[in-house]
Amino acid sequence: MIGRYKLERRGHAGPALVWGVSLAAVIVAMLLTGALFALFGVAPLAAFATLVDRTILDARGLSEVVRRAIPLMLAGVGLTLAFKARFWNIGAEGQLLIGAVAASGVALFSGLSGPLLAPAMFAAGFAAGALWGLGPALLKVRLGVNEIITTLMLNYVAIYLVRWLINGPWKGSSLSGFAYSDRFDPAAQLPTIGTTRLHWPTLTLAILAAILVAWLLARTRFGFEVRMMGESPEAARYAGVDFFRTTLALVLVSAGAAGLAGVGEVAGIHHRLVDPGSLSVGYGYTAIIVALLARKNPLGALVTALFLGWIAASGDVMQVALRLPSQITGVTQGLVLLCIIGSEPFLRYRLTRVPAAAGPTGLAPGGEAARGGETS
Amino acid sequence: METALVLSTIARALAFSTPLLWAALGEIVAERSGVVNLGVEGMMILGALTGFIVAQSSGDPWLGLVAAAATGAAAALLHAFFAVILRANQYVSGLALTIFGLGLSGLIGRGWVGRPLRNAMEYVSLPFLVDIPVVGPVLFDHQYALTWWGLIVAVALWFVLQHTRIGLIVRTVGENPAAADAAGVPVLRVRIAAVVFGGVMAGIAGGFLSLAYRPSWGQGMTNGLGWIALAMAIFALWDPLRAIFAALLFGAFFTLSFSLQDRFPPQLLTMMPYLFTILALTLTSLRKGDRSFGAPEALGEPYARGER
Amino acid sequence: MRTILLALLSLLVASSATAQDDPLKVAFIYVGPVGDYGFSYAHDLGRQALQEHFGDQIETVYVESVPEPEVEPFIDQLVADGADVIFGTSFGFGDGILAAAQRYPDVIFGWGTGIARAPNVLTYMADFYQVYYLNGLIAGALSTSDTLGYVAAFPIPEVKRHIDGFALGAREVNPDAEVQVRWLYSWFDPAGAKEATEALMAAGADVLAFTEDTPTVIQTAAERGHPSFSHYASMVEFSPETVVSGQLVHWDTIYIDIVEKVLDGTYTSTNLEDVDYFWLLEHGAVELGAEPGVPVAPAFIDDLEAVVLDHPEFGEIDVYDLVLRRNAQMTEGREVFDPFAGPLVDRNGNEVYAEGYLPTIDDLVGLEFAVPGVVGPWDNEPE
Repeated sequence: MIGRYKLERRGHAGPALVWGVSLAAVIVAMLLTGALFALFGVAPLAAFATLVDRTILDARGLSEVVRRAIPLMLAGVGLTLAFKARFWNIGAEGQLLIGAVAASGVALFSGLSGPLLAPAMFAAGFAAGALWGLGPALLKVRLGVNEIITTLMLNYVAIYLVRWLINGPWKGSSLSGFAYSDRFDPAAQLPTIGTTRLHWPTLTLAILAAILVAWLLARTRFGFEVRMMGESPEAARYAGVDFFRTTLALVLVSAGAAGLAGVGEVAGIHHRLVDPGSLSVGYGYTAIIVALLARKNPLGALVTALFLGWIAASGDVMQVALRLPSQITGVTQGLVLLCIIGSEPFLRYRLTRVPAAAGPTGLAPGGEAARGGETS
Repeated sequence: METALVLSTIARALAFSTPLLWAALGEIVAERSGVVNLGVEGMMILGALTGFIVAQSSGDPWLGLVAAAATGAAAALLHAFFAVILRANQYVSGLALTIFGLGLSGLIGRGWVGRPLRNAMEYVSLPFLVDIPVVGPVLFDHQYALTWWGLIVAVALWFVLQHTRIGLIVRTVGENPAAADAAGVPVLRVRIAAVVFGGVMAGIAGGFLSLAYRPSWGQGMTNGLGWIALAMAIFALWDPLRAIFAALLFGAFFTLSFSLQDRFPPQLLTMMPYLFTILALTLTSLRKGDRSFGAPEALGEPYARGER
Repeated sequence: MRTILLALLSLLVASSATAQDDPLKVAFIYVGPVGDYGFSYAHDLGRQALQEHFGDQIETVYVESVPEPEVEPFIDQLVADGADVIFGTSFGFGDGILAAAQRYPDVIFGWGTGIARAPNVLTYMADFYQVYYLNGLIAGALSTSDTLGYVAAFPIPEVKRHIDGFALGAREVNPDAEVQVRWLYSWFDPAGAKEATEALMAAGADVLAFTEDTPTVIQTAAERGHPSFSHYASMVEFSPETVVSGQLVHWDTIYIDIVEKVLDGTYTSTNLEDVDYFWLLEHGAVELGAEPGVPVAPAFIDDLEAVVLDHPEFGEIDVYDLVLRRNAQMTEGREVFDPFAGPLVDRNGNEVYAEGYLPTIDDLVGLEFAVPGVVGPWDNEPE
């Protein structure tokens, strides 16, 4: 409580407010980034102008933005589903890597060729990613084990698994001993738009996934159950929602989507299994930001993924054209996140004037039975 | 020959586990009070950087350590502000701090790379223990002071948490904040203090890296140790004494991945601690009746009086 | 009419003048931070020397910490900024460089440590195997436990060459010497390097060498007073008393040669298909020592002179002299002396190079075997 005002819990934040506040957070983050530019002797306005020029007004630059957004879209959409049910899947990074492993396995060893290969890779990647999420899901619904830790741990297991494979059993014979797998058969290499690196089949998948998840959430019983589990678990229990099946289903989809992102990376960009640090430049973790910034809205995740892809692509421009240090990108991402968090209270609370009679007991009148810490 | 391997593994495990233990102990206290801090890695690396800068400029590594601790505290204060006061999503707040901390440290640290620390922390030799036949020279001769201090702090923390009033307060705030509040405990203040304590410990852990273990500064030098410490805190079931064991286990696997390299692929050994953590969590959840194994009830939930 | 002609003339002069004044824009792409004090740092030293050498004729820029799959967008940016020559310094940049080279046929590309070329892509490499051999001679003489330690990054031919060279040198001085190897599977892993060094020392190693991008091994070995060899950049100041020698690289020799040939027209964007630099001691691209001009730290010279051998080639000679002699021989050329020259048998007993055979550069680039004396895991070892 501050003087004659107090923070009162808001009933529900309408979409206009949500987007407005999110936008404001992003703008504040950009302003802070501009200040950072100035600190390094780069004029902020000119800097942003260059960024826009090179990453949006330039066809190739724009293709890079979209390319980087693709894995963020897929993983991010999956995460919106999981987060809606408050299943905190921090394991998208590992699920992505496992999807890449499965796809590489199919490409290198399955003996398939021709037009069957790519779909098989995607199917395998989805399945593998889903399986990687299965363990944490089962542990949570059956034993109540914290999914944040289990999914996080499996990220590391996945990293070391990939490293072991590319240094050991799957090491390529054609690269004079360097730690990569063999190059994939051309049938396993996804087509791209023109000479850019935009592998459009995966992009299409991402958009379809977003639409599918949005439809699931809004129009099916499953989606309704997911949302109820997230907003009010007690009510869900009363209503007889099968937590076991629903959680399993949503985690499988969420983790599978991240697996698809991994397939896209190996089939669309690298065309071989490479080391984890090159395969995923933190996509699984950035996808968390994507999902949260989109307020767990799958279609919104497409937009926020583009935004974060833009930040990453801008990082290159910042280094080359603006001569800024390479660490700027990480700092900018962190600033965006911090601003998002800082903006949350505006969505959950509003300042209301205390009528003179009421005493400063601090008890909010008629608070709903809502869990602390979340919006929608 | 095998005893030599066992002894040297324990010795190296002690050294490698030191930053893990310090950071994990801090995280244990924070989580016991109900606040998750995913920002440990960011706080560690910021601590490592400031510790190095201060030590390099002043010539005194212990002064650097103080600076490292202070930096960790400052970063933790930010996390506490977001997570406890603003009641934002604790996981996101911590994650943001880590991303930001890694980037910021890289940025500021540019001017400090590549020089060794001119006055690093030295090894100490424990006076009587080092004379114990066979075991003494291997275990007690070649370790840093912070290693031994970490063990002492762990035991002290265990005692405080289990057997003192302060410990009870912290634990209650984590288990049932509403009850604590009703009993007059300043819940928010306790949580903030616990989080800041966690930051201090993380800062010291980072300082250990740049002032003793590898006396220099390099971008990203924490290399994921903060995340491991996070896992360890849970693997240890939020108990400082078990944290010692967990830290040694992680340390042992790490050093074994090198000494056993001709027998096992190193990546498979390095994977083990993470799998073990999942195993440990599973096992404890299986023993549902035993309350002492569980996570603090209110872990991860911001507290606001009057709200459920 | 005359004014128009005069105007046109002056325009012509002006434009040709600016054309000549336009400095050649040379860009460098590093895989790590310049401050890594190792690989990327050494390349940047080369860049700085290059800039100094050519002054106003060229303009250099660099980008650092570029993840390998991201090299193409960076190349796009650099070309958009007018780069004429682009050097990519890591093996992993290859795919991106080759793909970008096709899109920018007028730009000249250099693929550092690379293995494939194109009309506008040349490859270049400065290799240390000879210097590691010299280091091995020194190590073999200084070790009292007959066990040497080597902390290695990845089991790729380049690193294997280094280890084998080191072992060949050590065994020439001490036939009982053993080189224990531990792998990090990473170019940058300070904690791993520390623990690997400790594990090696626990296994008895008392002289240490490494291929890893930090000075951790030096610091860790110094804690027990063990000598070590500096790698890539001058790491002497991390332990002035225990760093006995090392390997130094002079990328500037290669960069200056390439840029000179670009400036005088020898290299164009269409004739680089066969241009491959595999530069060694004889080209001045690498140097023995932990700091330039000092092949062996003065404090250790006496110890080396105290070890006298009955050498098959030189008769009675002390190790310090041997090191200098071999250095001089290899600086003359590979045909004069090469540690890998046949007859050479690997540690499993297979003959790899017959008597009188001098391995070609291609042989060396694809080297996978381990020589006798190397102890430890060795991925992809030929049966």
